[in-house]
Amino acid sequence: MQELVLRHFVTNSGIGPNAVDGLLVCPAGMAGGQGADVFNHERINDALGIRPRFCETINVGGATYTVMLTRAATAIRAGLADAVLCVGAGKFPKVGAGGADLMARMISHPDFEYPYGSFIPALYALAATRHMAERGTPREALAAVAVTSREWALRHPDALMRPAGPLTIEQVLDSRPIASPFHLLDCSVPCEGGAAFLVMRGELARELTQQPAYLLGFGEHHDHGNISHASDFATMGAGVSARTAFAMAGLAPSDVDIAQLYDAFSINPILLLEETGLAEPGKGGHFYLNGAAAPDGVLPVNTYGGLLSFGHTGDASGMSMLIEGARQVMGQAGDRQVEADIALVHTYGGMMADHSTVLLGRTAR
Amino acid sequence: MTTTAPVPTLYEDTAPYWRAAVEGRFALPRCRACRRFHHHPRAWCPYCWCTDLEWAEPSGRGIVLTYTTVHQPPSPAFTAPYVLAVIELAEGPRMMANVVDCAPDTVRVGTPVQVTFEPRGDVAIPQFRPREETPS
Ligand SMILES: [Zn+2]
Repeated sequence: MQELVLRHFVTNSGIGPNAVDGLLVCPAGMAGGQGADVFNHERINDALGIRPRFCETINVGGATYTVMLTRAATAIRAGLADAVLCVGAGKFPKVGAGGADLMARMISHPDFEYPYGSFIPALYALAATRHMAERGTPREALAAVAVTSREWALRHPDALMRPAGPLTIEQVLDSRPIASPFHLLDCSVPCEGGAAFLVMRGELARELTQQPAYLLGFGEHHDHGNISHASDFATMGAGVSARTAFAMAGLAPSDVDIAQLYDAFSINPILLLEETGLAEPGKGGHFYLNGAAAPDGVLPVNTYGGLLSFGHTGDASGMSMLIEGARQVMGQAGDRQVEADIALVHTYGGMMADHSTVLLGRTAR
Repeated sequence: MTTTAPVPTLYEDTAPYWRAAVEGRFALPRCRACRRFHHHPRAWCPYCWCTDLEWAEPSGRGIVLTYTTVHQPPSPAFTAPYVLAVIELAEGPRMMANVVDCAPDTVRVGTPVQVTFEPRGDVAIPQFRPREETPS
């Protein structure tokens, strides 16, 4: 998978090895249970034949790729590099092959959570239950997230669930129960995937492409280690990173045209809409129910199908949202192109523990 | 693949917690400086980093902060449906547990619960069951 991504990059980037002097990569193999390859940066260096002066394997779970972008931008600003290549690729273990248990052991506290039968959908369900109780989010709104994601996926040629056709709220509610309130269709689709992107100063980027995506602001917030100790179950701590990003960009939530919000499960975009300030507290669900996030809505969300319907790409989870946010502002989104000047991308790692928000724009500020 | 429910590993800082559970006692570290209980046990207070701790017994009362009824367990070691919950203890700390001794669909956010213990292998693990609200 990693080799496929690199081959695609080498073929299509329009640059040679001497143009890249920074490299950030994810520790491939982790989500598949083969063990994290923490020397992956050396392997990719070797494969590409580059000799960068800034180079690291980094892991912040699903937040890894927006964090790569912010690390790369920070390094460039500090003079540590001029062009940083960021690479992520990977897969999930096969469903039914003990994968759930493997992921549960990876993500739960081994002594104080795992013995209680924790596993990934159930841990997210804890956030969903609390959000529904505290903010009055209706069950149908969760289903509407899955339905909306499918609508967008139908416009992306590579979306995993595109052949499955459109989805209805009833189909989501009628699918097999997994962990209340989630049914099967509230859960993202595990798959393989990956991508690469290049971070550089605007003047260098404009030599490569007429319309780069400009990084306008970014922020991070790292909350709990284990979900049992989350500061706030209804919000999971995403607000701080979003406020930091808006402050840096000198922008407000009302300036955002599209959003890509990490949707491992149907509750997440609702929660993140509210936390990033794109929707009022308690209104994130209605946002989906009234079509605001859908094609032709006032604030399109996950315009490529998201993890729910495009696919949840193992170690590269979160890469797809950043790529889609960038493609939209670069005007490269094909059939699903939205008139978007400002895109917000929010991803998180762990059980909604590590938050990272980036704001991308069509014009530098 | 394991079919017996997993048991915790005992470490120096956590063993008193699990050993108390075997005896039917709920024990947690409390900080001698800030007087706060914390969960899970560790060698310092996560609120003030004081290392002068004592073992004490909180009331074992709490409420269901949030929960989910699991229909598809991660492995055959668990029998569905079961309630996975985060309990907010009356003394403040939060912890994961199952809500037991009740029909799963009767559990709500805010349900008052009381600690109970489930023997498992050589140890026991704290669990919670619904408790009647008693006027204090
Ligand atoms: Zn203390």
